[in-house]
Amino acid sequence: MATLLRSVQRLVPGLALAVALAGGALAVPEAAPAARLIRIPGGVYTPLFRTTKDSAQITVAAFLLDERPVTNAEFLAFVTANPPWRRSQVSRLFADSSYLDYWTGDLEPGARAPANSPVVRVSWFATRAYARWVGRRLPTTAEWEFAAGAGYTRPDGKNDAQLNRDLYAWLARPVPDVQPAVARGRPNFYGVRDLHGLVWEWVDDFNNAMVTGESRADSGLERDLFCGAGSVGAKDTADYAAFMRVALRSSLKANNTTTALGFRCAKNTAP
Amino acid sequence: MITKLSLLLLLTARLALGGKTPASPAAAPACPHCQEVTAPAAKAAAAFSKESIYQLDARFTDDAGRACTLGDLRGRPVVVDMFFASCGYACPLLVTDMQAIRAKLPAGIRDRAAFVLVTFDVARDTPAVLAQYRAQRSLDGQWILLRGSDDSVRELAALLGVKFKQEADGAFSHSNILTILNPQGEIVHQRIGLKGGLDEAAAALAATVK
Repeated sequence: MATLLRSVQRLVPGLALAVALAGGALAVPEAAPAARLIRIPGGVYTPLFRTTKDSAQITVAAFLLDERPVTNAEFLAFVTANPPWRRSQVSRLFADSSYLDYWTGDLEPGARAPANSPVVRVSWFATRAYARWVGRRLPTTAEWEFAAGAGYTRPDGKNDAQLNRDLYAWLARPVPDVQPAVARGRPNFYGVRDLHGLVWEWVDDFNNAMVTGESRADSGLERDLFCGAGSVGAKDTADYAAFMRVALRSSLKANNTTTALGFRCAKNTAP
Repeated sequence: MITKLSLLLLLTARLALGGKTPASPAAAPACPHCQEVTAPAAKAAAAFSKESIYQLDARFTDDAGRACTLGDLRGRPVVVDMFFASCGYACPLLVTDMQAIRAKLPAGIRDRAAFVLVTFDVARDTPAVLAQYRAQRSLDGQWILLRGSDDSVRELAALLGVKFKQEADGAFSHSNILTILNPQGEIVHQRIGLKGGLDEAAAALAATVK
């Protein structure tokens, strides 16, 4: 083993250079890079939670959704073109102190941020700015949940046993230090990947989550509500993963960034 | 063994890549001043402090139909509240609270402060509706009533920590938060909820101006 390692070390400079040259051409996209958009037909989304004033069902119009989450390489192109969004320059109002902190530098994702892995530790403000830059937007909660409600083979994934097994297996795994590559997950009924099983994702209206339905209640009560009144109004208490998404969204502030929270973009269908 | 070997190669390749990154012209390091000149967004942001919510690049229209940005408020102590005109419950109380805060201010500050209402209801609260609201509530020139796009309202709400949601009947559920901004547009105080805290809010507002 030791001998082998030594010989590898002798070989490595040349090898590394070759890989770096090849990789360099791939790693720096020319223009705004973006995932393939998948058309999601319209439909009806039944929210997990609702108050007496909310609709039981929300109609979701047809829209386009990124096939997979935004990657480190794509986000690198964004911060390269938009200096105010670099780690060292961003205002704390728009991204907290752990923004992109797993990158080696402002413009160096480094070994913990492989080009094809999902970008994480990005704030809602930053993801919106990225989406605008590529001419897209963030999906709404209803859109995201509608698309994510599909199984592997059917538009309604509620009883898709394999999907549920994969989902809970993912929830049970700790967050890896280095995220695996995007688009390796099995596509769902619509052809969208990684909605479950890779990272959590921002939605445009995350700050809808867990308002109480009564203007007089203040937003500081939300956590209490999640444990008490909120769960009473839930349509499907078996949907543990959906509970977790609601809890996560309601706990976030727009400048927060966290280990396994990334995003993907959406777009309106052409009129 | 093979796996470990290829891992090592990969790792080394990545390290090499990491060291060699960039080189595109946009990424070239420049002096801060040059960057301000070449990057419009950076230039605009540089005008405000890093903690100023006036950095938000959002456009609004007031009840006279004039275009404005939050940055137009720079230099004044500000109380800002998000509301909607047809609200029959909390919003009228919040406007009354803002009037009470104003009455508690020392004279020199009372006449400089701005009292800003930004509507959630971008569809229905047209400038005309806001103008009508101003008349109904007898709000004078120190009150600024604003309507923005969906985007600007959502981003401002996020900055202020205000959560909101439109209900099936068209009304909005929302957090009740009065925010005090200093003349730089930095949040210095928030009154959360509907009870009490008016003396503290007035004191915080007065303290922004020496």
